[in-house]
Amino acid sequence: MAFLRSGWAVVLANILVPLGILVFSSGFFPYKPLLPGLATFDEIDQNATPAIFDKVIFMVVDALRSDFVYSNESGFSFTQSLIRAGAALPFTAHASSPTVTMPRLKAMTTGSVPSFLDVILNIAESDTGSSLAYQDTWLAQLRARGDRLVMYGDDTWLKLFPGMFDRADGTTSFFVSDFTEVDNNVTRHVPDELAQSDWSAMIMHYLGLDHIGHKAGPRSPFMLSKQQEMDAIVDNIYTAIQHESHLESTLFVLCGDHGMNEAGNHGGSSAGETSPALLFISPKFETMDAPRAESPIATPDDLRFYQTVQQSDITATLAGLLGLPIPLNSLGVFIPGLLDMWESGSQKLQLLSRNARQLLKIAQSTFPSATFDAEAFSTCNPDNLSGIDEVQCTWSQAQKLLSEQHLSESEEAYPAIEQALLRFSRATQEVMSSTASNYDMSRLVAGLLILAVATSLLLPQIYHEFSRTVSTGIFLVFMVVGYGSMMFASSYVEEEQQFWYWICSGWMFYLHMRSESGSSRNSNVSRRKASSPFRWIKLATLGLIASHRVLRRWNQTGQKFTAEPDIARDFFPAHPNALWALVILTYVDSGYHLLAKMPSVAPAKLIALIIPALGFLFKLNFAANDSPELLADTPLSKLAGGWLGSLSLVLQARLVFGGLACCGLLAIVSAKRSHSTRASNALFHEALHLFLMTQSRITNVPVFLLFRTQGTMLSSLNLTGIEVTATTLILQYMTFFAFGGSNSISSVDLSSAYNGVGSYSVVCVGILTFVSNWAGPIWWISMGHLLRPPHTSENHRHDSAALFTFQVAASLLSVMAACTALRTHLFIWTVFSPKYLYSMAWAMANHVAVNILGGIGLACLWPRR
Amino acid sequence: MASTTSSPTVNTATMSQPPAEKPSAPPVNILPSQLARIYSFVHPALLLTLAASRFEAVVANPVQELLNDLPWLALLQLFFVILCVPPAGSLETASSGDNEEKKKASPRSPSAPRPGKSGHRRKQASGKNVWAGLWARLMPALLSVTLTTFIATPVLAALLVLFGAPLTTHNAETVLCAAHMAVLSASSLVYVHGTDGSVWKEVWGIARPADAVWGGALGTGLGAWFGAIPIPLDWDRPWQTFPITILAGAYIGYAAGSLISRTPFVYGKRVQFVPEVIEEDDKKTN
Repeated sequence: MAFLRSGWAVVLANILVPLGILVFSSGFFPYKPLLPGLATFDEIDQNATPAIFDKVIFMVVDALRSDFVYSNESGFSFTQSLIRAGAALPFTAHASSPTVTMPRLKAMTTGSVPSFLDVILNIAESDTGSSLAYQDTWLAQLRARGDRLVMYGDDTWLKLFPGMFDRADGTTSFFVSDFTEVDNNVTRHVPDELAQSDWSAMIMHYLGLDHIGHKAGPRSPFMLSKQQEMDAIVDNIYTAIQHESHLESTLFVLCGDHGMNEAGNHGGSSAGETSPALLFISPKFETMDAPRAESPIATPDDLRFYQTVQQSDITATLAGLLGLPIPLNSLGVFIPGLLDMWESGSQKLQLLSRNARQLLKIAQSTFPSATFDAEAFSTCNPDNLSGIDEVQCTWSQAQKLLSEQHLSESEEAYPAIEQALLRFSRATQEVMSSTASNYDMSRLVAGLLILAVATSLLLPQIYHEFSRTVSTGIFLVFMVVGYGSMMFASSYVEEEQQFWYWICSGWMFYLHMRSESGSSRNSNVSRRKASSPFRWIKLATLGLIASHRVLRRWNQTGQKFTAEPDIARDFFPAHPNALWALVILTYVDSGYHLLAKMPSVAPAKLIALIIPALGFLFKLNFAANDSPELLADTPLSKLAGGWLGSLSLVLQARLVFGGLACCGLLAIVSAKRSHSTRASNALFHEALHLFLMTQSRITNVPVFLLFRTQGTMLSSLNLTGIEVTATTLILQYMTFFAFGGSNSISSVDLSSAYNGVGSYSVVCVGILTFVSNWAGPIWWISMGHLLRPPHTSENHRHDSAALFTFQVAASLLSVMAACTALRTHLFIWTVFSPKYLYSMAWAMANHVAVNILGGIGLACLWPRR
Repeated sequence: MASTTSSPTVNTATMSQPPAEKPSAPPVNILPSQLARIYSFVHPALLLTLAASRFEAVVANPVQELLNDLPWLALLQLFFVILCVPPAGSLETASSGDNEEKKKASPRSPSAPRPGKSGHRRKQASGKNVWAGLWARLMPALLSVTLTTFIATPVLAALLVLFGAPLTTHNAETVLCAAHMAVLSASSLVYVHGTDGSVWKEVWGIARPADAVWGGALGTGLGAWFGAIPIPLDWDRPWQTFPITILAGAYIGYAAGSLISRTPFVYGKRVQFVPEVIEEDDKKTN
């Protein structure tokens, strides 16, 4: 096979690519030094600022975007009445990207800004490295004080804080279609816990609103009733705080962990995703003589209602209000609006200066070279400085004011000192939140160099190949160069699918032109293929273009046009019968092909009949659990509701996978017997076809029918070796996006990641997640083996591995270069780093593991005659 | 995207000069008159200037403005072809003996003068024949308008949709965009080549030899394809909506294509797609 006969350059390049990724990643994802241990009070602080509250009820409503509470369309009418009465202080808590639950919970509890790696750990949820058991949080501080904590809701809390809670009932967010049970499971505990007096922190985490968003977006008809349900809970708790004596000094915090965009997803950095609501609620706030906020108010464009604070500020503020030391790694700044809870000016000052000193410790440990020497910065102007210099400058100014105040003992200077301390704290927070200083440049450059070597190793071979087929070569060079330069523009990274759709339509038109001009001018060319008439080729290329056009409308993805109507999210829910007819057709088609490719032995034929049927029933049952709205009013709903629903999904998936494994074994056995590589390859491809269908969302299953027709049309075109490689390469990327993929973390599809998995296993879930997100590319890699012309003579042998590796290495090189050059860019953690993560998956999993190693595996399994 | 290098099988004589023994119609020359030569350079520039001057209005109201501009664009294009290029049938194409079945265009304008050998410049009609000459130009012009409206526009609209133009919305924009592109590209092709099947086969296969007319048409298509590039950018400008950048690309591509393909270096060359098919063919015969 071609892969085994590849030159040393290809082999070496494929070793260098993972190596380069490792080196670059170690320099790019910085290790943040964490201060170990728990914070304690200094002696002078001990009783300087008395605690205002002794209990806290921390109610997180997942994806509670600011306008859900504050706007005119909100269902939170009781909460809004509290805002008007002054009992609730409203804020917008800016959630920095990645806006997914686990990093956000880390930010709200530790006060730190979670590193980007937490996103990956959020997917590999049970990883213990992401646990906060040994980090300083306000929960740990309460626990250290000997208090009790209870938790109800999202079990992410239980994973983050093992052994922290005395009573807990976690709910998983496994089936996103569940809008009510997840929340009832929390609410049913509330009356009991409100009656108890033994806890000092009750945490509730409601998931239903987030599920509604994922399913139907922020304008869903379920949204208002869910908001009213949440509002009723706020009412209950507030009434209990007013009337129960043991709750009289209880702080009630209502907040969202992140928001959602207009499509109902989150993970990125749009205004909707980064603007959750935050409210501090207590009857005690009514006594503050601050002006009452109006509510409801009109929605601002950027969704920033009232005052905007950082999410990490919650930690510092809670610590201050509950009389706890501020957790060591907190970058939070005490929210100034709540300072008025303390009467005396010196108490406020104490609190702020404690906050400032705690931040100073972090800054000093991160920047050991900074002296914080008051003399050096005695005459500086912080407006002209940036970075650590600004921090040092603001610190020296605050110190100067403090010492002056010590001398004069007057209280008139308090407001000025408060401002100076807050300014220092904010500057520190900003500098410490941006991790630009932590890149290991030498490793970044080393990684870039390794990839540059890998790319240039392949250049002679690629040049040789391209010089033989100039027009294809020029197209591919244009594609690689265009893709590489695109990686430097954030909007093209977000809208990468547009590039591939664009290139794909151009390439298919090129194939059409080629068949046209080839046949019109070299009439012997059209005559040479008696089996595929010229007319059919014309139709085939036009059919390809048309099917590609349908495919690009299947799932709208990216950022800019993501909310526009498409087939999977808009047409199918409105026409479920069409969906299920297509799904059944797809399964019948795959069964027919599997049957045809099976060796003609009775048991094998039987397997070929049973597996597609099992696969379909599994998908049906899965849809009945996961997205019942797709089954409503269809004849199949009775089937799913009946005996089928009683079967375990895990068992069904295992049966399907087992059957497919049998097919794979049969392919190997029959290859050894009959020595027919092509037939076994085809059988293997059919088994893979069914496996990928099982791992795809139900709305994407009919795409495989399109793939089948595209494959048939392509094989009728009699493409040359390099054209097959180029076509499958372009279609790999194109179909990845057509399945709904994008370069945003929020588009990772986890719905099929647990098929057949009983208990959590990182390896299984990882592989299944990859397969379900890269189903299109994997299918086309496999199809490429079938499309490749059967007899390529030795002197013109086309090395597809070289071209694939060249493309992967070149695109990785440009992504790394973009990440290095733009490392101080505003979007580095929201656009470029996710792109780098995706490129890693493309290179390591899709290219090296599936394409190269898979190709070698196929070559070894059935050696040629 | 495609190469302009020569194929090993094509006679090298076809590269730089009008072919004598080519089976299909030769590249088209601009008419020799002084006025035609000058205006043929002015025309692309004039089109671009006019397009630029209407840009703001198009952004403000694409459908209305494109519709208003369409007749003027058609008039300009017709003026250009009537003034600068020979009408259909004025070129002798009889040299191709092996594919007579494709030659249906010639009888369409019987009164047109036939200067004889292909590639020779058409002689000016004598004063007596002014009316006949004008008639010979008006017929193809009429044909050009009809075919552009009823065939080229729908075909281009379908191609636009296949390349990603919205199907469920913006239908008026798509059709108007296609109409503008059709007037830019197809009207002159029809005027020059009539309904010569072999020419249109070559057009569909991007295999015409380069000349001002074909260069403009190819440039229109390529320009429209490249015109899609700015759409995904997050600048949120009103001109980033669907037909505007595509049409801007088409206009620029038309001007560039018709000028570039006239230069001696490019003139008469063809886009090559299939050297490897020939290699493979050789292999099979071996």
